[in-house]
Amino acid sequence: MATGSIANAHGARRFAGILLRHMENRFALLLVLWGVAIVVMSLLSPYFLQLSTLPYFLQYIPVLGLLGMGQTLVMLSGGPGIDISVGSAMSLAGVFLGWLLGPLDVPILLACLACLAFGAALGFFNGVLINIVGIPSLMATLATYFAFGGLALALTGGRPQTGFPDSFAWIGAPGWLDIPNHVFVVFLPVAVILHIALSRTVVGRHIYACGNNEKAARLLGIKVDGLRLGLYTLSGTLAGLAGIVSASWLMSASPDAGEGLELLSVTIAVLGGTHIFGGQGDIRGTVLAILIVTTLQTGLELAGISMAWQLGVIGGLMILSVATTQAVRRRRAAGR
Amino acid sequence: MALTETVTPVWTQRLLHAKREVVLLAAIVLIGGFFAVSSPYFLTLDNLTTTLRNSVDLAVISAGMTLVIISGAIDVSVGGVLAVSAIFIGRGFQWGLPAPVIVLLGLAVGTALGTVNGAVVAKAKVPPIIATLGTMYVFLAVLFLVIGGEWISGLPDTLSPLVSGNLLGLPVPLYLIAGVYGVCYLLLRHHAFGRHLYAIGSNENSARLAGIAVDRVKIQVYALLGFLAATGALIYVARLRNVEVNIGTTIALEAIAAVILGGANIRGGVGSLLGALLGVLFIKMIQNGLVLIGVSSLWETVVIGGLLIVVLTADALKHGGPQRAQ
Repeated sequence: MATGSIANAHGARRFAGILLRHMENRFALLLVLWGVAIVVMSLLSPYFLQLSTLPYFLQYIPVLGLLGMGQTLVMLSGGPGIDISVGSAMSLAGVFLGWLLGPLDVPILLACLACLAFGAALGFFNGVLINIVGIPSLMATLATYFAFGGLALALTGGRPQTGFPDSFAWIGAPGWLDIPNHVFVVFLPVAVILHIALSRTVVGRHIYACGNNEKAARLLGIKVDGLRLGLYTLSGTLAGLAGIVSASWLMSASPDAGEGLELLSVTIAVLGGTHIFGGQGDIRGTVLAILIVTTLQTGLELAGISMAWQLGVIGGLMILSVATTQAVRRRRAAGR
Repeated sequence: MALTETVTPVWTQRLLHAKREVVLLAAIVLIGGFFAVSSPYFLTLDNLTTTLRNSVDLAVISAGMTLVIISGAIDVSVGGVLAVSAIFIGRGFQWGLPAPVIVLLGLAVGTALGTVNGAVVAKAKVPPIIATLGTMYVFLAVLFLVIGGEWISGLPDTLSPLVSGNLLGLPVPLYLIAGVYGVCYLLLRHHAFGRHLYAIGSNENSARLAGIAVDRVKIQVYALLGFLAATGALIYVARLRNVEVNIGTTIALEAIAAVILGGANIRGGVGSLLGALLGVLFIKMIQNGLVLIGVSSLWETVVIGGLLIVVLTADALKHGGPQRAQ
């Protein structure tokens, strides 16, 4: 017994030591934060910690996740890069998909591919404005946020597009263990591919290089503008994919489906440890941040707390997480 | 351009130099002419004064936004500030407070929220766009907390003279706009505050090294914008006599669009109050004209977004391609 408790105390001290050492490690910090979020939410609502919540919880992940990962990549490559238009691009791509699948009756696979290409074109347009024309990313995507979102509303007269074929519902339908199919066929593959691309490939190295020191990256012969243009295009493509997932889940493409998601995607990227001027961050952090934000959202919703509050909490969380990373940076820069 | 131009040139000279304003004015005349030909109602005194009365809040907020953008920052939360101030004004009426107290209460709330924005940007070093995106949603949460999805309606018309009144034969909104732009102009061109804004927007580090209290100036300019947003709230309540759930949702973006159309540089250090005012006029004229010629109001955002893209592209091309890392 005695030796057991000594071992326990020893273990606890070691654990605390590890925890402290890792406090600067974003990933560990996020894990702790997620744990806290789960505990708080299960205290708020008795329904939260039940297995039946899991599919409901996972419904939200892909749409947010795709936009968040796109945002992460855009920010990582520096510039400073940001894509305020992701939500609008998703709405517009969804409306486009609704038009293909509804009135035009295009085969599902073809329509989805067209929707991805459409999203890519929207992202490419952003990329050209920012990297070829030279408009600051914030202004360019603010303008396209208006333009894309406005087009989605104006072209549909504000009405959601419906009349999708029944088989299209498969993507958002519950599959293995009642978990929605899109988690397996969309979210996880995309996350794994992007993670590997970012951490194991030359392109990934180049993205970090551009974000850390653009001048050095140029001197090394990295085609900074082309790379960033590609990342905006990717962000648009992911927005198109998110449009497909959302349309399949709800079986309707609302012209304001992506409203507010630009804030969430920025929050997720920043919370996940992506520095908003680039060069720092990864997909792991972003995925954890998605889990945290979704935990907060579903938890607050289960506890019957309104949407506006969820956004309020998330807005506060975003400010807090940027403020702390800025403080840590300054302390480190000052030699602490 | 920023610091050296503070020496006031002769009026005609300034007009020649103010290229953007001239272009914008020409565009207003041209497009206004098109609307006038398309709709006989467009150029009537009735329509013009209505449009003027509908533009006051945007005009007032755009003046503050110009100063913020000159300092190299941005504020996308003004809609939220306007909304929360409007709630306090509406609630003030419901509590039966006297009108002067209500006005002061509203202005105080707006200024306080603006100060919060400034503090988050200046003290916590959160980049302005992130900071104000965050606070916007916090403010909207407050809005829902207080009015819970219902409207505050049936407010008394105590404040109506602000919008519909006439003074010496001219509509009161004209005086309001003149007053706000006059004060902002004096601040910007004839006061150290304005010079500090240009300095911070041009090069924050140099401004700091030159002994400017950068943090304080930033907080002040956000507080000023908050104050003006609250003024916008007063005008809003005066005009509509209600506070609805989606109040102020587009005004931040419209104000930013107006300021950028008016020739301000989003990177800071450059901006024009006259340009911003013309930008407001331009946006409001297009909104009004489109409705008059029978285009759905849903197209407004497309037009504003498209215009922004065109103007930003022209600006960027004029300055010669993408800016490399400094």
